[in-house]
Amino acid sequence: MREETNNSAELLNVENLTVRFPVKRGGFLSRKAYLYAVDDISFSIKRGETLAIVGESGSGKTTAALAVARLVNAFKGKVQLGEHNFLELQDEALRKARAKVQFIFQDPYASLNPRLRAEAIVREPLDSLGIASPQEQQVRVNELFKSVGLRPEQQRLFPHQFSGGQRQRIGIARALSTQPELIICDEPVSALDVAVQAQILNLLRRLQSEMGLTYLFISHDLGVVQHMCDSVAVMYMGKIVEHASRKDLFNNPLHPYTSALLSAVPSVDKKRRAETKRILIPGDPPDPIDPPKGCRFANRCPVARSICKEKEPPLRALSSTHKVACHLVDEKAKSPLL
Amino acid sequence: MSLLKIENLRIELTTRDGIAPVIDDLSLELGAGETLSFVGESGCGKSMTALGIMGLLPDKIGRIASGTILFDGEDLTQASDARLREIRGNDISMIFQEPMTSLNPVYTIGEQIAEVLRRHQNLSTAAAWAKAIDLLDAVRIPNPKARVNDYPHQMSGGQRQRVMIAIALACEPKILIADEPTTALDVTVQAQIFDLLRDLGRQTGTAIILITHDMGAVAEMAERMIVMYAGRKAEDGPVDQIIEHPRHPYTKGLISCVPHLMASLSNDRPELVEVPGIVPSLKSFGRDECLFASRCDRADEKCRTQRPPEMSFENNQNSACWQAGDL
Repeated sequence: MREETNNSAELLNVENLTVRFPVKRGGFLSRKAYLYAVDDISFSIKRGETLAIVGESGSGKTTAALAVARLVNAFKGKVQLGEHNFLELQDEALRKARAKVQFIFQDPYASLNPRLRAEAIVREPLDSLGIASPQEQQVRVNELFKSVGLRPEQQRLFPHQFSGGQRQRIGIARALSTQPELIICDEPVSALDVAVQAQILNLLRRLQSEMGLTYLFISHDLGVVQHMCDSVAVMYMGKIVEHASRKDLFNNPLHPYTSALLSAVPSVDKKRRAETKRILIPGDPPDPIDPPKGCRFANRCPVARSICKEKEPPLRALSSTHKVACHLVDEKAKSPLL
Repeated sequence: MSLLKIENLRIELTTRDGIAPVIDDLSLELGAGETLSFVGESGCGKSMTALGIMGLLPDKIGRIASGTILFDGEDLTQASDARLREIRGNDISMIFQEPMTSLNPVYTIGEQIAEVLRRHQNLSTAAAWAKAIDLLDAVRIPNPKARVNDYPHQMSGGQRQRVMIAIALACEPKILIADEPTTALDVTVQAQIFDLLRDLGRQTGTAIILITHDMGAVAEMAERMIVMYAGRKAEDGPVDQIIEHPRHPYTKGLISCVPHLMASLSNDRPELVEVPGIVPSLKSFGRDECLFASRCDRADEKCRTQRPPEMSFENNQNSACWQAGDL
């Protein structure tokens, strides 16, 4: 098992990231309990590529992204971004480094300040991080409006005067303003109408190839993920259960949860519908405050054995592009469902 | 005779800019046990059709201007409020997108299911309670005897939507209208809900109207579909045939603007087909032109000046496009 952690091609390398939240449990004299929203996960992204984190609501994908950007505090772990350990930076160094990581949010209706004009929204990160003179800022805002496909005269408008897709373009321009290296896209199209989604996805891919951007792309829509990503991490209850290249994950899903997830996606393709055997996973995920001691998916897994309920499976590398956390996958990389 | 037959339905909304036809000359038929899907972007009239059938159009603002909605031979547009109340929940029921907000937080789910049974079927309290437990079992809530006493906040989103389905199915309706029933849910839960709806449709012969924007869901669930655009029917027909060969540029756009999971993973990922622009505002609804023309790359002078009539094809596909024959 060889790790390629010191590869200079990697922009982001996350190790053992853990985020926990205190929760109230029981009544008087109750012990303090924690919910581990993100539990000891590791992943990396190569410069200029897209890693998608997929998983269902509550799996911890957004919390992981927020922790990478230091928008929530990590309990433990390391986030190596270029030459910085991002989690250890303080004060001025942190402020400077923040320009390198920007966020695109899910809801373009809630993520823009309704009282600011579009140009001010896009300029705000430059102001608050103290980048560039006012004249230079204006030049950059002009360029950004052009590259996200908005007209110059739209700079003077307020958010409510834009459609959902246009607002998301403003959000993208804002994220690009500080010339970041890593952009975290948290469900960037799920609040948009289907016809508008294509416009935004095309824009994100075009900007990536023009500017060499690196994306951490969070989505629950596997069709969109398949179109956008170079590699995928699948999360379930705070853990990464499978981490693989696009090709490996979609052609040879190994973790039973990944298989179930893929088989649940409805498809317009007749052939796919005929070939896909629906893997039903009954019930709901277990209580995240008190997770089971073995594999967290064991109680819903169609092929679980006794070892799965006893021992937690580690994330193992089967090849340089495929890692999986399942006891039942052997070295031949064959799905336990087959 | 079909179970539901809508003819030349026109629903008007009064807005600040005047009266807009949000449903403009819609006709459709639905047979018992059939699943029909409405597809289109927001603001195209999918939900308005559902509310029109249910007699739930917004008071004072919305009204049925002309046309008929025949349910089992009875014209619902002429029915009294009392009669509509009888039909709603009993013969035609509806589930909504938001399972979080559709349940009353201060009553247990058992009370909310039993209420429907007592009101519509005059069951005694004990009998209604027993049937509520049966219904929870039918929608596959584990341990229904205990869960019947739960409040909505004690359940997950998928379970709440299953409770909504239990309420909707309590009186064994002839038609179930599902308005984006799985949009707020995870994909594995969506698959469970779809399985449930399919099985129930098969067992009870309930016809389902599924409103969605997801072509994959349509392909999975429905036999026939109607593509709505700006209050008008753009295209309708058998689902498989439309997906294979759409006869309206809007349908074509809706199918190809979304990256779908296919049987084999393609290596090259070309740009997605964009449908430029957005749905026109209510102001332009009802004009004598193709309302899609401003977003269509094939539009010509005729499209901008005359509303296209419905063109029928041999395979029961109909398209309201001047160029449907060439597509």
